[in-house]
Amino acid sequence: MNRLERAIGAVLRFGTVASSSLFAVGLVMALIGYRDALARALLEVGLVILLATPATRVVVSVIEYVRERDWTFVVLTLVVLLALGGSVAAAYL
Amino acid sequence: MNPLTPVLALIIFGAGTIAGALGVALGLGGGIFLVPFLTLALGFPLKSAAAISLSTVIATSSAVSARRAGNQLINLRLGMVLEVATTAGSLLGGITAQYVAETALQRLFGVVSMAVAFAMIGRINRRNVIADPAADPGRLGGRFYEEESGGVVTYRVRRLPLALVASFIAGNVSSLLGIGGGIIKVPVLNAWCGMPLRAAAATSALMIGVTATGGAVIYYGHGDLRPLLAAPAVLGVQLGSWSGSRLAENTSVKWLKLLMAALLAVVAVLMFLRSAR
Repeated sequence: MNRLERAIGAVLRFGTVASSSLFAVGLVMALIGYRDALARALLEVGLVILLATPATRVVVSVIEYVRERDWTFVVLTLVVLLALGGSVAAAYL
Repeated sequence: MNPLTPVLALIIFGAGTIAGALGVALGLGGGIFLVPFLTLALGFPLKSAAAISLSTVIATSSAVSARRAGNQLINLRLGMVLEVATTAGSLLGGITAQYVAETALQRLFGVVSMAVAFAMIGRINRRNVIADPAADPGRLGGRFYEEESGGVVTYRVRRLPLALVASFIAGNVSSLLGIGGGIIKVPVLNAWCGMPLRAAAATSALMIGVTATGGAVIYYGHGDLRPLLAAPAVLGVQLGSWSGSRLAENTSVKWLKLLMAALLAVVAVLMFLRSAR
């Protein structure tokens, strides 16, 4: 297994576990009405982590391709990041 | 919109579980089943259903790809190339969704589910295509160890422009309708671009995470993606896809495909009826 695959696997695993755990805890708290503000915060953070996980995977790829001096793929992955940045811009502008 | 009651949370969780299990068994994401359930049965606006579904698509993509990373099935290089097209498509789709009328989205969903139903029937006896193991994979091709045949499968990627066009369309439809888009990419990659089915599916599964993010972020920014509704759906789909991988081994996929094709045809008709109201 090469470095990039290992790094991507780690990012995706962390994102999955973190967001699902926050969702599970936040949802149960929200449903039983225990500390509602905190429950909402946990759910919000879980969702942000979920949305950020694929983007982080792309960032990790850019870094690894720079290390390998594979400039074609550095450019390609940067374009993907740019498109995701475009979505963030479209969401808040 | 609907406040979250324990009953509603349980219903969304259950729907997610079933959609996730069916999705894994059929090699699709669960979105194609989850979106019509949320809109037709629970009365959610399509935009809100699509947003919830996109968050489950991201979760499935991350969970499945984390498990697969390292077994060479995912073609990272090809994935990165095609992601340029899918993210461009999803950015455009996400922006368009803000301006398109609900009825137009319903009709589009009807058309796509009908197409998926036909594609499912057409591919009912489809088996894995094995490429020549001695071939040179080239710059974008790949090589992986296949358990069933016990050999190394090598493939070259052909017709890259076609794969890019399919990816762009998949990204666009993904944002608009809240589905992953694998249903568009995988058949094209497999039938015309020379990729073995398992590699095409694994690569697509990785790509849909980034693709869905492009759309989901736009819905989130516009307040259409509410964490309280997304959480039970995501947890349900995670549970469903985890248990669905066992279901897939024990069920006749052929009958399941026929059943699902019929179900999707019904969904298509219901979406058309609703858009005409």
